[in-house]
Amino acid sequence: MESKPNTIYRALDRKAAAITEFTMRQYRTKASTWVVLGVGLVAISLVLLIYVDVMATGFESVDNDRDSEDPDNDGYPTGQENRYGTDPYRDNSHPGLLDPPIEPEPASNYIDEDGFDISISGDADEQSTGYDDDGDCRDADRTDSQKDSNDNNIICDIIIERDQFSGDWYGEADNYVDEDPDDAAYAAEASHMAFVLGIGKMGFVLLLGMFLPLFLATGLIREEMNDGTMHFMLSKPIARTEVFLYRILGYLGIVWPYFIGLGIIFALISGFIGPSEGFFRFGDLVVWLAIVFATMMASLVYGMLFCALGTMWRYGIVLAIPFAAWELGMCIVSMGAPEAPILRLSVVGWALMIVDAAAIIAWPNVEIFILQGQLMGDFGLIHSTSLALDFFHSEPGLGASGLVSAIIATVVLLVQGAVLWFIGGAIFKGKEIE
Amino acid sequence: MMPDFDQQGKGETEAWQPDLSAPAVLLEGVSKSYGRIFALSNITMALNGGVTGILGMNGAGKSTMFKLLMGKLKPSQGKIRLFGTDPWKNPAPYARVGFVPEHEKMYDWMTAHQFVSTFARLNGLTRGEAMLEADRVLNFVGLADVAHKKIGQYSKGMRQRAKIAHALVNDPELIILDEPLQGCDPLARTTIMNVIRELGRMGRTVIVSSHILQEIERITEQIVILHNGRLLALGNLHAIRDKLDQIPHRITIEAEDAKALAKDVIDMDDVYGISFPDKKNLSIQTHNLGAIHSKLPAAIVENGHHIHTIDNPDDDLASILGYLTSGGGI
Repeated sequence: MESKPNTIYRALDRKAAAITEFTMRQYRTKASTWVVLGVGLVAISLVLLIYVDVMATGFESVDNDRDSEDPDNDGYPTGQENRYGTDPYRDNSHPGLLDPPIEPEPASNYIDEDGFDISISGDADEQSTGYDDDGDCRDADRTDSQKDSNDNNIICDIIIERDQFSGDWYGEADNYVDEDPDDAAYAAEASHMAFVLGIGKMGFVLLLGMFLPLFLATGLIREEMNDGTMHFMLSKPIARTEVFLYRILGYLGIVWPYFIGLGIIFALISGFIGPSEGFFRFGDLVVWLAIVFATMMASLVYGMLFCALGTMWRYGIVLAIPFAAWELGMCIVSMGAPEAPILRLSVVGWALMIVDAAAIIAWPNVEIFILQGQLMGDFGLIHSTSLALDFFHSEPGLGASGLVSAIIATVVLLVQGAVLWFIGGAIFKGKEIE
Repeated sequence: MMPDFDQQGKGETEAWQPDLSAPAVLLEGVSKSYGRIFALSNITMALNGGVTGILGMNGAGKSTMFKLLMGKLKPSQGKIRLFGTDPWKNPAPYARVGFVPEHEKMYDWMTAHQFVSTFARLNGLTRGEAMLEADRVLNFVGLADVAHKKIGQYSKGMRQRAKIAHALVNDPELIILDEPLQGCDPLARTTIMNVIRELGRMGRTVIVSSHILQEIERITEQIVILHNGRLLALGNLHAIRDKLDQIPHRITIEAEDAKALAKDVIDMDDVYGISFPDKKNLSIQTHNLGAIHSKLPAAIVENGHHIHTIDNPDDDLASILGYLTSGGGI
């Protein structure tokens, strides 16, 4: 046969492409592949449906300081009476009796009238921030000690403090400062971010990134060994470590496009439906990119591991299950304590670091945003949605910047994958095939 | 062996050169044991050129020997060399080897052409080269007209031929076939036997296993007999048969009048005993099967006996094995 110049493509089009293509076609002919991919799609789509329902229903804004009410029924809301110094509880005292008389304002002017004005500046562990938009804290009738209920000698402010151990910020506001923010806007934003991080971490990286390899990669070598069809592949001049690698490539050829497709669907739907000033939340795309990438990396490492376990032992899936439980635990730890050293021994800890890193790049103010929710006390809409966001959000645990953390995590995952390839290849090489 | 980056899978590279002075197949004192059970014990032989039949009952160690040769199993003891290289450590010699495994299971969802061309690429062929090569070998085994049908729709004989085609890719110098005739219909049997004989004529080294003597007889005269993991005999089938003629043998004749026939037979030189299993049957014991077979027809015709069947119940693998294992030796 005539030989043509051996380009990289032509070189790879021999053994590597042959086994990779063969493996992908083999997956496509198996009903189990479609069942696993289908179940994954259904499971994760249910969460998406809940999200869509919540966003479509929307949140109702609450008058947190109840100053839109009119207890004396004189037509003037409490907030307006407070501003003009009349008694909100007596109907013969209201701004309409002043000279010149004041027209009553609609009650809606006194809902969400004092939003959050919180910022963190510099590195100080204790800072003063906040602004009393509606002036009800700075009301002339109040004494200075009433205006400084958090006792930091600054009137009408919010004191924020950083916890020495966790690094999280906590705050305490003076009464009537930032006391009536826009609940609906806050809850929508917090729920959206909590959804993206939650579905990204638990749904994509952990559930899809681990359970797809568990069902699809464990039998990559083992099933062929059991069926005796491995003899066809291994009676050709090809090293077993190569067969192992190209089989994994074939598996990735199925699951990676699946992750990318799902990621695009989720990014589009949540981008259009989520709260946004424009028509689409472009900022989230960085996070979605990181979620899909982290899932791909996790599925690579898990695929290598589970395939190696399957090669090692006929019932390798039994060994994979305790490991899966360990990874689930590490996923929970990662969301609570991302800096825990034990996470370095897991796969999911590094994969989630990529998501966390993208989140602080895409949403640099998320920490302040969560802090705002902390100020609102217990059980309010703002407080509960901020707790959900706080659960799924964590800083990338290395203490480095987002980009650096993401790069380090990616390198670690690639090294893990390579090491597991060598181990799996070595196990396969030592296996006798009946 | 690390991945080869040129992906060529050549039988000769700088890293691996076939040892031309070594025989294609060499086993030296090879044993394979599973715990205390020996699947093969102390096999020594060298094969180079021609067709060799490996004969043995089920469980004699034929497949174990092939899997050892193909580097699927690691020998417990001894040395195995394919073209001078240890197949357990280095898969490079497989560029010159074709292997037809015994397993029934195949990739039923592929067509024979896809099957052969996909695995041809593992020999380092490009996609285009593999397609042409698949056409060639499928034509060689007589599957050209059904090459684009799914293997799942094939008969047993067609499946075996597809497996043989897969092994013939890249024109290997050594072809190992594990029970290629098992379960095949007579037509497929003939085709496969012709293919094997043709490969032998082309100067390839062919090793073919079977548990049926008559099959091997039609393919080759050079045989190796394995029994319970031991090498019992190695050599020309005719030589083995001539020796067998010298050992006690039994001929059973079903005749109208067995006693009358016995009178005419008992005087023959080579007959040392007769018996009557029942009224119509006569059993003759002899040391020289060939001599009896040449005298018997004349004796029957001259004396006007009417007979129904003449049977050599011992003339099969089981009787050969029985003799060889009872201490006869060849």
